[in-house]
Amino acid sequence: MSRGNSTSSSLSPTDDALIAAIRGGDERALAQLYRLHWPMISHFVLQNSGSEDDAQDVYQEGVMVFYEKVRDGSLELTCQIKTYLYAVCRRLWLKRLTSKSRFGVRLLDEEEHGSLLNTGAEEDLLAAEEQDRRFATMADALQHLGEPCRSLLEGFYLLDKSMQDLTTEFGYTNADNAKNQKYKCLVRLKKLFFAHYKEEPI
Amino acid sequence: MMTDADYYALFEAYAQGELAGPARANLEARLAADPALSLRYADFTELTGTLRAYGQHQQARQQLRTLHTAMLAAEAPEEITTKTPLTHTVNPMLRISRTERRLRDFWNGHRATVGVAASVAVMAVFATLLGLDIYRNSKVQPSLYGYTVLRREMDKLKRNQRALSTIITQGPPAAPAVNTGKFSGTGFALTSEGYIVTSYHVIQGADSMLIEGRDRQRYHAEPVYSDVKHDLAILRITDKKFTGFGRLPYAIKSGQADLGERVFTLGYPREEVVYGEGSLSARSGFEGDTAFYQVSIPVNPGNSGGPLLDERGNLIGVVSGRQNDAQSAAFATKSSYLVRLVDSLDAAKPEAPYHLPRFGHLAGSGRPQQLKKLQDYVFVVKVFE
Repeated sequence: MSRGNSTSSSLSPTDDALIAAIRGGDERALAQLYRLHWPMISHFVLQNSGSEDDAQDVYQEGVMVFYEKVRDGSLELTCQIKTYLYAVCRRLWLKRLTSKSRFGVRLLDEEEHGSLLNTGAEEDLLAAEEQDRRFATMADALQHLGEPCRSLLEGFYLLDKSMQDLTTEFGYTNADNAKNQKYKCLVRLKKLFFAHYKEEPI
Repeated sequence: MMTDADYYALFEAYAQGELAGPARANLEARLAADPALSLRYADFTELTGTLRAYGQHQQARQQLRTLHTAMLAAEAPEEITTKTPLTHTVNPMLRISRTERRLRDFWNGHRATVGVAASVAVMAVFATLLGLDIYRNSKVQPSLYGYTVLRREMDKLKRNQRALSTIITQGPPAAPAVNTGKFSGTGFALTSEGYIVTSYHVIQGADSMLIEGRDRQRYHAEPVYSDVKHDLAILRITDKKFTGFGRLPYAIKSGQADLGERVFTLGYPREEVVYGEGSLSARSGFEGDTAFYQVSIPVNPGNSGGPLLDERGNLIGVVSGRQNDAQSAAFATKSSYLVRLVDSLDAAKPEAPYHLPRFGHLAGSGRPQQLKKLQDYVFVVKVFE
């Protein structure tokens, strides 16, 4: 990674610092990034027959992809964050437009297509989509699980509550009891989850 | 025998590093040896991993959502401060109802399509109207709707002629067929020097024309002047052998005739001269055209250009056409327009001067006597295209 000496094609120092800060869990850095690029995407979507809400959806989706990759540490940027976000959001909006409209869609672009080609946005989006599908199946499975299994699992895995808290919350006599119940729920969830997840075509 | 739940308890303890040394080594050995168990372990890690990632994902999403609302709030701080002291909304545009929002979205999305459809519709309407108009005009050319000019097409005559000639060929040797021309109308003498008046639409588009009298005497003629607006045309006989008509029996009236006057006409709707009688029923013509009279004489194609005379034998008009949807409503150009036309032509010093008949000598005699004198001055005008 080049530092400072090249600003045009590679990461600028501020981009680098931002990414480092976000990886470190700094919320203000994320907020700054979010505020910085919002006008660009909102302008792009509004210009291409979208509404304010559409712009927000697309932008959040795009930042989500970026944010998760940063937190994973799997982000490999070959361009500025700005370009990457633009490429991702453009792709997302194009997909929505084509699914909405019966006719071919042409976007009004400000940036050249050439600079968007090698951003890796395409592959990242595909991965994100696959992940979304997995999460959707998980949400579905949790929905079908029924209470109190759902709340128990959500409490432990999603909300990071301790076993002790959950024991008192759900009124189990002791932590071991709660744990056993949790494992039973997990087995049921596994059946639901894999039944749906595996049968869907990839 | 261990249940699934027991295995999960074991796996979780192992994943969190809570397992003691020997138990841990034991499990690792079993995982390496037993593929079914290792598969079960893989499922477990995927499930819990997905669950945790799902939780993080949702958290991140929530985080972004709050970021967005925070950003919007930061973007428009003055809006909030101005809003708080007011109890009523200042700008009604800020509040858009759900239906209106939907309408706006629809309009934004389909503006282009709607525009194209509308313009196509407008163009189709105009094209249809224009096309119909052109079609109608081409069908009944010089006349207006409901108005028929009375020149006679000679096709029917031709057919008769052909039938006749077949009869002849079976008997005596065939006479060369006479070219009868395409249209025919009526004309009458304007002056004794060989000027003849007919309707403009009779000679419209003519290459050459023949004037044929009652005695089958034929003359070539050429148009001298035509007045499209009042449907008048003046022809001149060009034959060298033509000497003149002699004194004309009728005078041309320069004033207007009165309502209810008895009028008559002579014309050639067939090969024979035909007399028609009626009265002057209106002093204006089709659709109130004041250049014409309306007369109640039954007229037919071929009557066009015929003279219209009153009881004393004065020429008061030139038969021009009839109305289709009215009973015996024929129209004739007023003679005053003819007089005016002749006067203007006379002022231009033509090669043969115009001497309009001043006094008629038909007055007082009975109708058959009048007609006997008249019919020598009424001709068939045959037109060749």
